[in-house]
Amino acid sequence: DEPDATKVLGLDADLKVTKQRVPIAKLDEARLLSQKGIPKLRKDVKTKLKFKGKAHEFSDLGRLLNFYQLWLDDLYPRAKFADGLAMIEKLGHSKRIQIMRREWINEEKPDYLRN
Amino acid sequence: GRDVQVVDPEVRAHVYSLVTALGGFNGEDVSKYNLGDDALACLRDIKKWLRLYDDKTNRLDVARCLAEANIVNGDLLPILNLWYNGEGQKKKHLTRVALACLELLVPLTWPVEIHGQMTINHHRHTPYLQQAQVQYKRGILDQNTGLQTLRAVIQIGLPSFTMPKSERTSRDDGILKLMLYLLRNVAMISAPKGLVTDADEEETSRSTTINAFQQQNVFALILTMSANISEDFNFQDVVLLEILFHLVKGVDVQKLFMNDTERKAKHNDELSDLLKKESGVKREYAKNAPTRHGRFGTMIWVKRDDAKVSTVSGQDILKDGQIAFNKMDQTKKWNRPKHGRRQQPEAASGDFTLSTHLTSTATKNLRTFVEEFLDTGFNPLFTHVRKAIEREADRVTDINTRQFLYVVAWFLQAERERRSYQRKQNERNKGTSKEIEPDNFSLVASVLNQETFVFLNRAMQYSFDNHEWQDLNANMRCFTQILLTIQEMAASTFEEDQEIAENTLNRIFYEETTHDRIISIVRGYKDQGFAYLDACTELSHVFLRMLENYSKANVDMQVRSKRRARAKKTDTAGQEADNEENVDSEAEELADAARVAKERKFDFKRFSARFCSQKSIDTFVQFTTYYRDLDDEQLKRAHRFFYRVAFKQELSILLYRLDILNLFYRMIKGSESLDSSKPIFREWEEFVKQLTRRMIKKLNERPALFTELLFSKINATLFYLEYGHEKQTISTG
Repeated sequence: DEPDATKVLGLDADLKVTKQRVPIAKLDEARLLSQKGIPKLRKDVKTKLKFKGKAHEFSDLGRLLNFYQLWLDDLYPRAKFADGLAMIEKLGHSKRIQIMRREWINEEKPDYLRN
Repeated sequence: GRDVQVVDPEVRAHVYSLVTALGGFNGEDVSKYNLGDDALACLRDIKKWLRLYDDKTNRLDVARCLAEANIVNGDLLPILNLWYNGEGQKKKHLTRVALACLELLVPLTWPVEIHGQMTINHHRHTPYLQQAQVQYKRGILDQNTGLQTLRAVIQIGLPSFTMPKSERTSRDDGILKLMLYLLRNVAMISAPKGLVTDADEEETSRSTTINAFQQQNVFALILTMSANISEDFNFQDVVLLEILFHLVKGVDVQKLFMNDTERKAKHNDELSDLLKKESGVKREYAKNAPTRHGRFGTMIWVKRDDAKVSTVSGQDILKDGQIAFNKMDQTKKWNRPKHGRRQQPEAASGDFTLSTHLTSTATKNLRTFVEEFLDTGFNPLFTHVRKAIEREADRVTDINTRQFLYVVAWFLQAERERRSYQRKQNERNKGTSKEIEPDNFSLVASVLNQETFVFLNRAMQYSFDNHEWQDLNANMRCFTQILLTIQEMAASTFEEDQEIAENTLNRIFYEETTHDRIISIVRGYKDQGFAYLDACTELSHVFLRMLENYSKANVDMQVRSKRRARAKKTDTAGQEADNEENVDSEAEELADAARVAKERKFDFKRFSARFCSQKSIDTFVQFTTYYRDLDDEQLKRAHRFFYRVAFKQELSILLYRLDILNLFYRMIKGSESLDSSKPIFREWEEFVKQLTRRMIKKLNERPALFTELLFSKINATLFYLEYGHEKQTISTG
């Protein structure tokens, strides 16, 4: 007897369709290093953040915090400011991000200090 | 509901019939308790039931039945008073009955606690029994009906008590034990947390306990026993310690040593502080409260990059841009999931973190007792207990170490408060005849000796290694109080005191392991709760400041450092190697027995640099997040630490992290800021201002800092970010 082809291939069996949940966007290394992430931050601080300096410490500090809040809201709208900060701080312990951080610092060093 | 048989009906029937046969109030005189014919046998039978059914089979069924039959308040207490008030004390039979009552009272009032080995049965009965015990305590303390239970209990123990120790039989020792354990149980029972009690809690409060202890001579008993502990009451030391612990835990020492007007003033201050706080909150709210009705429907756009906008609604946002930012944040619904350890409920036998309020009579009574105890009982009792714990005597349990440390810390603080109170009184009475000569510190000398330090160090290391956080908490408090006491000794007018203080400090600061341990405790904070956080920040604050002063005064201070033999070669590698060495120091300590101890010159600058690491900063940041609830002293502690980091150690770079900056900003500005009329606010404001000024300068010089604001800093880049150039290192080929 030949084995029944339809049985082996399972053509008669009912197909079970399990709906996949829509994956939730994560705030991970990839997102942090993407165009919207730290590259954008580095670009924007040069143009969009201006400090008034002496005697305006608190308003400067407030402006700085607001700037980061908006940046974080763009990057990952789901999280509150404090939560987002904590998540990013945690990512900062990973190898890849640490290497990137060193690089960013090295970029601005004068030539004779670069390793 | 469903009819569930909680207890075997036959057991219940047996127990009930025994209780009924004990006696009752039905006779010619209804207010007089009539003892049943075979009362003594009944009492002994009930005791057997408790032992042979409950204890042997690990149940609480009989205890439950006895609680439902109301045996304590209905029978045992009336019998005890019948014996005490009437002619009963002369009758041998009645005295035996009274003793049998005490023998039942002790197991019935023995605290039922949540523990690891509970059966279904325990879970079923524990809440009921806890509430029943509160009723027992109410009955025992009840004075309205003319009962004097505590006096009666002491009277039972008195014949054995007056006997010299050599003549006491084991039965006499047993009676003393029963008496003291009853007192301990009474002091310990408190309304269970999270369970509703149906009656007035005032009747079983700590104040009522203290007042009853005072009126019925319990305090006198404790004092006599503590003072004569080594001659006559060798085996009673641990029970006495427990009684003291449950009496003083959570009591505010500072409030104890104030006279009535001061305390009233303090209460008023607290009240007005609270009111001010509340009106501040109201004012802040009113500033931004809607001026129109709730459906007025204002909406604004916040313009953002790339022609994007965010919409925010509400009228308050029109006035202030900052509010719009806050609102944008607050309306987000998602919260970051937190994976913290869940806190186990702490058993009542060792928990001291809840604070207690005392009435003014109770305060007075407790204070009189505390002063007399310091004068007579402190040294003998605590020396004795320490030795018992060290010897691991049979009567000592695990919880006793924690209780010992906590009680010692509490009494040391009491002694310091008393001295400052006396000083104030002296100032006031200057010129009049009532001046009192200041004492030296011999009254508390028994916990300032080398043996105690060894004990303390060992206990601290043990609880740290084994993650016994509550034990460590008690330990830290004790160490802090010892340091503060010695500091006060050093400022004493007695030359002898100064000398002792100098010697002691030398001994404490000589061991490098102590320094290292304190650093690792502060760096190791994670989810241990606020009480722990408070204790460890206080210890580090006190320790660091005293060490700083001491090393300044003794320039050639030496420490004994224990290192591995081969570590000698790498000694010059500097700070980084030092840090690495700390990380694996724990494992090293266990594995490596071959260590060399050598003397080294102490370098405070280097030590405090290790203290100002990222992890200790995280601990202090955690502490500071409670800023709305911290008092001035605590805020000062945090302020001094951050000041040290930023300006003394020049490591302000470690504080440039957005969550820290955000916290500091909220403390000064916005609706949740500190009370700006307080002097401590000015200090914080100035600090944050200076810090920001420096930061902005650095941001302009080194834009890489903008990304680094997001992260904890890496050691390798730390120096460059702070100073803008590389560290000069001398290599030793």
